[in-house]
Amino acid sequence: MPEGPTHSTVPTPGTAVPGRVVAGSEPWQPGAAAPEIASSAGGYVFFKPAEAAFVEAAVARLIPADELGGGAIEADVPLFIDRQLNGDFGNATRWYMQGPWGEPTKTQGYQTRLTPAQFYRAAIQAIDAVSTRMHGQAFAALNGDRQDDFLRVLESGAIALDGVDGQAFFGLLLQNTIEGFFCDPVHGGNKDMIGWKLIGFPGARYEQRFFLKAFNQPFPLPPVGIAGRREWSR
Amino acid sequence: MRKGAVLAAAVLFLTVALVGRAVGQPKTIRALPPPNVSGARFSPQQVAAGRYLVILGDCMPCHTVTGGAAFAGGRPIPTPFGPLVSANITPDRETGLGGWSSDDFYRALHEGKSRKVGNLYPAFPYIHYTKVSRADVDAIYAYLQTIPAVTSDPKRDQLPFPYRIRQLMAVWNWLFFEPGAYDPDPNRSAEWNRGAYLVQGLGHCGDCHTPRNVLGGAERRKRFRGGAFPGWFAPDLTDNRSVGLGSWSDAELLEFFRTGRNVRTAATGEMGEVVAYSTSQMTDGDLRAIITYLRSLPASPEATVSLPGREAMAAGEAIYRDQCSACHRMDGSGVRRLFPPLAGNANLQQANPRTVARLVLVGAQTMPTDPRPTAFTMPAYAWKLSDRQIADVLTYARNSWGNRAAAVSAEDVAKLRRQLKPRAAIAPVPRGSMLHPAPGTLAKPGTDSRDNGTAHAGRAAAPEADRNPRNTTGPPGNMDLPKHKPHRHEAQGPG
Repeated sequence: MPEGPTHSTVPTPGTAVPGRVVAGSEPWQPGAAAPEIASSAGGYVFFKPAEAAFVEAAVARLIPADELGGGAIEADVPLFIDRQLNGDFGNATRWYMQGPWGEPTKTQGYQTRLTPAQFYRAAIQAIDAVSTRMHGQAFAALNGDRQDDFLRVLESGAIALDGVDGQAFFGLLLQNTIEGFFCDPVHGGNKDMIGWKLIGFPGARYEQRFFLKAFNQPFPLPPVGIAGRREWSR
Repeated sequence: MRKGAVLAAAVLFLTVALVGRAVGQPKTIRALPPPNVSGARFSPQQVAAGRYLVILGDCMPCHTVTGGAAFAGGRPIPTPFGPLVSANITPDRETGLGGWSSDDFYRALHEGKSRKVGNLYPAFPYIHYTKVSRADVDAIYAYLQTIPAVTSDPKRDQLPFPYRIRQLMAVWNWLFFEPGAYDPDPNRSAEWNRGAYLVQGLGHCGDCHTPRNVLGGAERRKRFRGGAFPGWFAPDLTDNRSVGLGSWSDAELLEFFRTGRNVRTAATGEMGEVVAYSTSQMTDGDLRAIITYLRSLPASPEATVSLPGREAMAAGEAIYRDQCSACHRMDGSGVRRLFPPLAGNANLQQANPRTVARLVLVGAQTMPTDPRPTAFTMPAYAWKLSDRQIADVLTYARNSWGNRAAAVSAEDVAKLRRQLKPRAAIAPVPRGSMLHPAPGTLAKPGTDSRDNGTAHAGRAAAPEADRNPRNTTGPPGNMDLPKHKPHRHEAQGPG
């Protein structure tokens, strides 16, 4: 039998441009889907122990647990970053990563020659080297106030790291921390949807029509991820 | 009675040949090939009548492969024991019906016997075609003898031993096959008799919609109460109001036959083919006759169903709300003529949930017809829902909004999943394939990346202060805008 849509050109009154009638159907196969690849379970696969210690300490300062609930640690943000660095994002699989290497403007986004994975590795090593020189301890071993001070200086760009842009790294770490706190849980972060519950985000829902005019009322349904929610199973 | 047991065992083997159904529906509908009536062998009227009878018999889909020549055969009809392959029925002398007389052709339809290979398997529905009148069979013969001859010799006998022994079908025929043309019922109207002739004969509706016994013979007392075959369950056609056509109006039935869609359902899969190639091209008179006959089928008995478990209903409701309600709506009302309503849906409430379990596992696409040319697709959920979850959401939908049907078991879904083998057909992007640019387009070393050859090449971004709306002197209306936070660093995350 013939396959694919058929097109026929018919004149449309009043215009010089012919209209097009599309009939038939798009290619379709039973069972076809583009499944979201779920983050693997288990411990760290990318971070070495010292790197994991830095990331755990740093994200806990960026989104700390407080009276409103858990923070980046409770949301499994370090595990999320670990999985992303181990995958396409970390390896810049879909980015143009070759020269020329001009001086970037602020609006040009990510502009290092390193992949994000290499960038994390180099930056964490450089940060711990500076921290050890200044305080005699790696970043993770500092107390909370000193960690906050260190991160502020890093963000301001006033600290020189060996071979990497510290300010750019802070920006990337902050961005990834926020992503890990609010991502779909299928990617490894936002554990138990604590980020979504905090802000009342309903998640991957498709039917909102009943609630469009329910102004100033709480959304009645719990958040749901791509892979579902607990109530889907008995 | 040992002889009987041996016979039964032999026949049991042969049931394979019966349960096969064509799968892999064609994507778009193709018109029947025009006949060449220049020779004086058949009258144009007879050939034209034959062409319409071929539509009534829905011959084209099974005897044509996707992209292949019309009626040249070769479409595999899978059975659990191997594929049955349809025959070339074009008038090619060597590989088709070119050498067949009209008597040969009548014998195939009336007795299930091929001039070439002997006994046919009942996947070719001769048990129904036997009811077709000799005049109609001759007209079909006339049409098939005047279409373009195509040399095509598909390898048809692909069944393993012993099923490939066609002579064994004689035993099956002796048990389950009643040859004989349709005998009109003088107590019924002409319209009813026309409908019965079409439904029982060329339409071969009972091939799917009548249940079969363990030996593959039709259960005559349960005629049109719905039948199971691999991967599908053809629904009840009787007057039953919950699982049959009892609650459908004549107008709804007519719209379904003409367009494949109405306010209750949409034709997909096997029935989609039937609508596209057969019912949508029938005359209104024949469709009304079919409806008149179907209306006379006595309602099947109501099934007694125990209440579903509370746990299954709770899990099913959660899944339904999150996954199904966008199209089928929270209250199961659907969207008219696009997404079938689930409240009162007969297909959903069949005793055998195979079809609806299939729809959730691998999805479905509606068959486009001329009046409804756009196909709609139900997505597959096999990749994200477990067997238990699919069973629970079906149990919920089968027992909500007034529906009542037996709970679905996870084992049934698991069995169907193994059979359908759903797989993610869209391959992930291979690593590295998105790297840009191609080596030949690389810029010369030392080229400034901002030198892009346009009028804006190399222009530096405006200083931060100039872009801050608080420093601009725009129209007063701008002041009403909520203050935005342009700096990502300010968004330190909640809490």
